Amino acid sequence: MSTLLEIRGIETGYGRIKILHDVTLDNASGNIGLFGPNGHGKTTLLRCVSGLLRAWHGEIRFDGQVITNLPPRRIVERGLIHVSQGNRLFPDLTIRETLRLGAFPRRARAQEAQNIERVAALFPKLRERWSQRVRTLSGGERQMVSIAVALMSEPRLLILDEPTLGLAPRIKDELCDAIKLISQAGVKLVVVEQDVEFLLDLADHLYLINHGEVAAEVRPGDSMNHEAIMEMYFGRQTSALT
Amino acid sequence: MSTIVDIVMSGLFQGSLYAMIAVGLALVWTTIGVFNFAHGVLMTVGAYIAWQLASSDALGLPIFIALPIALLASAAIGLLMQAAIVRPFIGRPDVVLLAVITTLAAASIFENGTLLIWGPRPMQLPPLAAGTVKIMGIGISAHQLIIILVTPVILAALWFFLTRMRLGLALRAVAQNEDACHLVGLNVAALYGLAFGLAAALAGLAGIFLGGFTFMSPTMGSEPLSKALVVVIFGGLGTIAGPIFAAYIIAFFEAISIYFIGFYWTPALLFAVLILTLMLKPEGLFSRRSRSLA
Ligand SMILES: Nc1ncnc2c1ncn2[C@@H]1O[C@H](COP(=O)(O)OP(=O)(O)OP(=O)(O)O)[C@@H](O)[C@H]1O
Ligand SMILES: [Mg+2]
Repeated sequence: MSTLLEIRGIETGYGRIKILHDVTLDNASGNIGLFGPNGHGKTTLLRCVSGLLRAWHGEIRFDGQVITNLPPRRIVERGLIHVSQGNRLFPDLTIRETLRLGAFPRRARAQEAQNIERVAALFPKLRERWSQRVRTLSGGERQMVSIAVALMSEPRLLILDEPTLGLAPRIKDELCDAIKLISQAGVKLVVVEQDVEFLLDLADHLYLINHGEVAAEVRPGDSMNHEAIMEMYFGRQTSALT
Repeated sequence: MSTIVDIVMSGLFQGSLYAMIAVGLALVWTTIGVFNFAHGVLMTVGAYIAWQLASSDALGLPIFIALPIALLASAAIGLLMQAAIVRPFIGRPDVVLLAVITTLAAASIFENGTLLIWGPRPMQLPPLAAGTVKIMGIGISAHQLIIILVTPVILAALWFFLTRMRLGLALRAVAQNEDACHLVGLNVAALYGLAFGLAAALAGLAGIFLGGFTFMSPTMGSEPLSKALVVVIFGGLGTIAGPIFAAYIIAFFEAISIYFIGFYWTPALLFAVLILTLMLKPEGLFSRRSRSLA
């Protein structure tokens, strides 16, 4: 089985400051989990994958085809959908209008009605608020809308950048269940999370991003216990498990 | 009685013109976040192109063929203008100021270009329809009546487009969160072009409306633009409904004032309204926070 997303030797950054040094993730099987200290380049990597940030070097392939530095809309058209960290979405549009925009990609339009139903079933809370403006939603509701919009675009691979950031435990569990259902429906995931339990629950193959590099990985079948990961996190024996 | 009909007709006619102009300004402001000082010359250019196509001294096409061609040409000019003088600065922190300078420069270039090509002599565009219609004892030109009736239809169509159609939603979204637009697969640069092109076509239409009513000159756009400025400050640029209502209110105010106070003092009164608005409700003007359409 070849992997859906392959990242090889990516270097990028902002202005002249290099953030990512030669990041390679090309052996993942199943859902990918990324973790690591704040500010070490996880979001930067995802922005590069979805075309928001130019790669200076390296290659990104989606389903075998090179997508490096394509315009974001070309990447979206192929079914690689990125739910960005802390997305404010469109404050003055309603939930309903926002979801319609999610169905903008041509390949998603035919399924729009069907996807609306799917999304409403997945997040019943949103259905009650169809014509509420996004700016007035709570953080949890907004996060649900962000994921719902992504589902409207018919994702084959869904990138979730800290989907539970700043949310209370109950909402977090709800969101986690919803994401699991999405994964079970056949959508591959790339998830960034600070909450290790959450990550272990969703991802099969974990990568630790440290100082703009892959510092360690946990393959499916490796003993993924909490302590080992915490150790990696705090950098005591970062290569112990690789 | 005839006085009232006179005032109402004048208010409706001027209101239609102001609304058509102000909506274009609001469209550009809410999507791209800049104020287009070349909006007035886009009116002028639209009217002159229509003249070139329709006048019996030029090509002599029927006005209903000349009109859509002139609107397409206006849209194309707006699109090119956006690509040349606005898009290069999008994303820079000083884009608002730069756009003031570049659109003012474009206004001057187009005004003088019109002067060079068509000369200073006032010209008249064939009206949309000939003849006059009598309404409650008052004669009004068929041209004006068409404008009064057609403008609300066009504005309603624009409202429908911006609030009910996916592409219209995309135009509203692009102002609110550019990254999120990229991530739902929108072509952001094309949407900026579309906003400017659509605004230019609306300006061109206003120019054609005006050109069939009064004489055309290379500076014909500047006076309506200054009125539209009063309108958008009064109504706020943040929404599409705001400038429309404001356009009719200002036009009625103007018509009443012209009748009772006279031509001479009316502009001064309008600017008093503008200054009062700025003193009492200044946040409407150029406030990025309130940028949203519909
Ligand atoms: N637009 C930007 N311009 C300049 N530097 C940036 C920009 N965005 C991020 N950075 C820098 O890039 C580095 C990596 O940031 P990034 O957002 O990728 O980290 P992260 O791993 O996602 O962190 P977190 O877990 O806090 O989300 C940080 O030092 C950050 O300050
Ligand atoms: Mg991040």
